[in-house]
Amino acid sequence: MKKYLIAALVLFGLCTPALATDTPQSLIQDTSAQVLDMLKKEDGKNTAKVRGQVEALVIPKFDFTRMTALAVGRGWRDATPEQKQALTREFQTMLVRTYSGTMTRFKNAQIDVKPNVLLNNEGREATVRSEVVVPSSKDNKPVAIDYVLYKTAAGWKVFNVSVEGASLVTVYRNQFGDEIRKGGIDGLIRALQDKNAKLTRGAA
Amino acid sequence: MKTPARRLLPALVASALLTACASNPNNPYDPYEPFNRKVYGFNSALDRNVVKPVAEGYRAVTPSPVRTGISNFYANLKDFYSLFNNTLRAEPEKALNDLMRFTLNSTFGLFGLIDIATPAGLADNKTTLGDTFASWGWKQSNYLVLPFFGPSTVRDGSGLGLSFSMPGPEQLVYHNTPEAAAFYGLYGVSQRERLLGLEKQLDEASLDAYTFTRDAYMQMRAKEVGTTLPKDSDEEDIDIDDLVGDDASAPAAQVAPAKP
Repeated sequence: MKKYLIAALVLFGLCTPALATDTPQSLIQDTSAQVLDMLKKEDGKNTAKVRGQVEALVIPKFDFTRMTALAVGRGWRDATPEQKQALTREFQTMLVRTYSGTMTRFKNAQIDVKPNVLLNNEGREATVRSEVVVPSSKDNKPVAIDYVLYKTAAGWKVFNVSVEGASLVTVYRNQFGDEIRKGGIDGLIRALQDKNAKLTRGAA
Repeated sequence: MKTPARRLLPALVASALLTACASNPNNPYDPYEPFNRKVYGFNSALDRNVVKPVAEGYRAVTPSPVRTGISNFYANLKDFYSLFNNTLRAEPEKALNDLMRFTLNSTFGLFGLIDIATPAGLADNKTTLGDTFASWGWKQSNYLVLPFFGPSTVRDGSGLGLSFSMPGPEQLVYHNTPEAAAFYGLYGVSQRERLLGLEKQLDEASLDAYTFTRDAYMQMRAKEVGTTLPKDSDEEDIDIDDLVGDDASAPAAQVAPAKP
């Protein structure tokens, strides 16, 4: 009896953390907590270093190929593997540039990750909801941020983020569609490259 | 509750503003795109040359508590309209909440300058006439860019227009046209000051700022009123698993971290 009890304790003791880091909810929860810890160390002088740390932590949690496919929509089917790679690379660069510049504003944010996760697609897709309060904002109103994840061999990956119902990914679909109508997939790749070159120049 | 107003209003607004514009079939919720783009251009030029510089000056000369007070003052007047709208929507709990907010903030909150209702636990659930129309069943409404006010829909724009024409507590504040102009001018500057910096971010994040603003606004508004946006016939039901197919497991592209 005692043996079973110990076995059970060991099993639970070992398994719970392993399982815990592997649910979509805990992935978002843990990553948010780690990001906030990193941001708290930002003091105005080490901004670049903190940004690098946060990017190194956050980027692997995303599947940018899937994100790009979702943003491009139907046009994705007609793209060659090389074009898909180029699109993903440029879109990822653009997203990282745009959003990592805003991260220091969330330094003192409170993030409340909701425990009830919405499972879809026979449990392979999950929506994790969260509420973020930035104390410096005037009315302290919580902002709803939702993450959509899917299960891969390497664990759960995020491929869609929405803020107050507006998706940061599908909001690009019409803009991408316009570029594809004008100049094909290569036209869209060029437009993204130009954009990124402009952002680099602006930041330098 | 399908009132004649529901049928009449969009027709009125549409005919007054939009008959001259050729419709663009590209986007299912933006048939007035050519018109909207013109107004968007007007707003952007106005913002660049007048509103943004004034809002920056306002931020420079007023201390933060003063700006919060001014912003609270206008928010308190909106609670009055919210009370009216939640009554029309037959939401007695929310209406009572708004009544208590308005009463508390107008008296102990010194005419609304201090928001004591929110810390007291009375939720800020501002409801506009556009929300009221939506809850009466007018869920889908086309995108409409209003001069000065920016992104809106035909429904929300009609609501805003009607709200302006109704007698409300703000008419205790101003008595003639110059006073009204000052009242709304300060409101505009106060709102704009809170969004300073957004225009740069918008420019950085988008390929086409007009389309980006429209799609983000329409997605947000659709969620608020509890509906989904109409899709292009060829964009219907994209299955992401189907779309990605076998390149699903491709590793993310390597990108060097951005240098500030």
